Amino acid sequence: MNAPKQHTLAVRIRRNRPFYLFISPFFILFGVFGLYPLLFSLYLSFVKWDGLTDATFVRFENFATLFLDESFYIALWNTLVIGALYIPPMFLLAFLFANILNARRLPFRAFFRVSVFLPCVTPMVVIAIVFSLLYSSEAGLFNFVLTGLTSLLPWEPIRPIPWLESEAWSKISVSILLVWRWTGYNTVLMLAGLQGIPEEYYEAATIDGASRFQQMGRITLPLMRPTFVFCSIMSLIGTVYMFDEVFVLTKGGPGMSSTNFGLYLFNRSFTDFRFGYASCAAYTVAVAVFVLSLAILRLRRPATD
Amino acid sequence: MSIPSRIPSPIPCGRVALAGVVLAVCALAAGAEQTPIEIWSWNIAAASLEELVPAFNERRPDVSVTINMSGANMQSRFLLSLIAGVGAPDVSQLQLVDAPKFNPSGRMMDLTEHAKQYEAQFSPAFWVNCVHEGRIYAIPWDMGPCAVFYKRDLFRRHEIDPDAIETWADYIEAGQEIVRKSNGDTHMLALSVAGLFDLFEILIQQTGGGIFDEKGRIIVRSAANVEALETLRALLDADIAAAVNVFSHEYFASFNNDKIATYPLAVWLGGSIKDYAPDTAGNWGVFRLPAVKPGGLRTSNLGGSVLVIPEQGTKKEAAWAFVEYALCTPEGQIAQYRNFDLFPCLMSTFDDPFFDEPDPFYGGQRVRRLFATDIDKIPPLTRTRDWNEAKRYMTQSLSRWASNRVDHDAFLADMAQKLRRKLGREIAPEAAPAAASETAPVEGAER
Repeated sequence: MNAPKQHTLAVRIRRNRPFYLFISPFFILFGVFGLYPLLFSLYLSFVKWDGLTDATFVRFENFATLFLDESFYIALWNTLVIGALYIPPMFLLAFLFANILNARRLPFRAFFRVSVFLPCVTPMVVIAIVFSLLYSSEAGLFNFVLTGLTSLLPWEPIRPIPWLESEAWSKISVSILLVWRWTGYNTVLMLAGLQGIPEEYYEAATIDGASRFQQMGRITLPLMRPTFVFCSIMSLIGTVYMFDEVFVLTKGGPGMSSTNFGLYLFNRSFTDFRFGYASCAAYTVAVAVFVLSLAILRLRRPATD
Repeated sequence: MSIPSRIPSPIPCGRVALAGVVLAVCALAAGAEQTPIEIWSWNIAAASLEELVPAFNERRPDVSVTINMSGANMQSRFLLSLIAGVGAPDVSQLQLVDAPKFNPSGRMMDLTEHAKQYEAQFSPAFWVNCVHEGRIYAIPWDMGPCAVFYKRDLFRRHEIDPDAIETWADYIEAGQEIVRKSNGDTHMLALSVAGLFDLFEILIQQTGGGIFDEKGRIIVRSAANVEALETLRALLDADIAAAVNVFSHEYFASFNNDKIATYPLAVWLGGSIKDYAPDTAGNWGVFRLPAVKPGGLRTSNLGGSVLVIPEQGTKKEAAWAFVEYALCTPEGQIAQYRNFDLFPCLMSTFDDPFFDEPDPFYGGQRVRRLFATDIDKIPPLTRTRDWNEAKRYMTQSLSRWASNRVDHDAFLADMAQKLRRKLGREIAPEAAPAAASETAPVEGAER
């Protein structure tokens, strides 16, 4: 049964050669820059390689080391905590902004839309300079305002917060930067989601006498569920592989307190030259992220009823 | 680049003609037939090499040099070009601490035949990092002898005598006086718990401590390292430091204001000060690094870099000619110190009168002689190829050591175990438990 089918496929390809030629660039590029690195790093997971000398095959040794590597768990835990710290407020803010931008009568609409999205397209170098000045414990704006405000209160003014110098605060500092940087991106996604909801639903609900709150709870939120799911998956992946925000702000410190998985990978490969081990860690976490994404996707199902 | 390509000739194919024109322009711009070499380097170091080119071309007019400022990700780009086997420059700068990683790779040119003759002139503490199994793969460039940069006006205002500061205890006392007299507006130094390793590295060279012995075994648990930690904690506890990360924007900005009075760091910081705060010329002074104990070593080393020639290059002779001129001649090394504060590793330069010239930037002080003093007494620090990784673990753990006030020996014992686990290296027998009660293990004895 198989042989004739293959034959027909080959024939079909030959017959439609120009079309296959047209779609080939994608497959060639994907093969070179997507598939090949993917397979190569799978191979690297099973070897010891410093990039300079020959790789040696070590079977599952990398995986065994990984499961006993406390820095790996600390990095994952930090990723989780940072995610928990910034994703909820970011979603709330993004949803709020999306609703404001979606309002029928909003002056300077274009201006606000651009403003909200601006942090997303600002070069990281600039952000790094500005935020390290904001966070400075000696002369930073945040501490200046905080100590200034609390000195107006009757009780003792607070001491300057060591934003980037203490293990307790570094994750919070990173999270604030993340909320600032990625709210705009999620606002745009949610705005698109809001605009995808047909106006008629609201009209009908208004005629039926539904209040604003009822409309929000019964129409907007359920219909926004696919958007929320998409945003969640993007944020999950973004948090795990995030690199530049942490790198420029804290370099993962103090201690390991703000080292997330992305920075951990970078350190293992480009500081330590342990490419085999780093690939092994990357593959392990990629599988976990894949499983988690599937779980989040399942959340979308009930909404289709 | 052949001669015929320079002769304009009507060639029918457009592309060939264009290539001919490009080649001709190149050849004309470069003068005669030159061997072009490309060098990768970064910021001040790159500028420093650039200034050497005219003098080099007087010796070797047949070589044209291009310096490529490759920026922060140079190391990964360099590594990738080595893996790929193409794309590496003819000469590259490396951090001194990275050299031991590249030396054994077989991808660096073996410089032994050329460089052996210069060995005796270089600082041995640096030379060891360039050698692997008796073969030379890199040439030391600059070193980082340490001292304390201070602002003269602040010291005058608060009546502090820099010459009276001989130990770190004196330094702390002076710092507390400055903080008190300035009502806390001026701190003695910038020191953040997130970046304690540099100062730790400076201190362990003063006390004769270290991380690895010559065999690459872990010797982190030692009385000498405890001594360094005691000094570090005293500095932290004295409440004289501003919680500013070294090399942060705030740090560089402080050159121009009264926030920080002194900067205990290496000679190359002078280049950054001149760069960020040219208007403060004359207001700077330098005093020798305080000793850990009275009469102890009053210098140390931090940083430094090397030049290497990748094996894959095709113009190695020209590349070596440049490296030799820049690093192995007093002329080349002194020019770099004069122009960009890159302190020569070539010790034969120290006899040059240039070292005794007063420097107007430092109020006419003879700082070069000060930096050169006792350099040969700094014990060599064995780096191994795992230095950067070890440094990261140390930096991380030091911040915890500082924040949680961990006991020195417990911290070092824990560190030794961590390094053993992570790096797969063994702990040297004399640095095993109980060593802490004895005197410092003598790993500087080799020199």
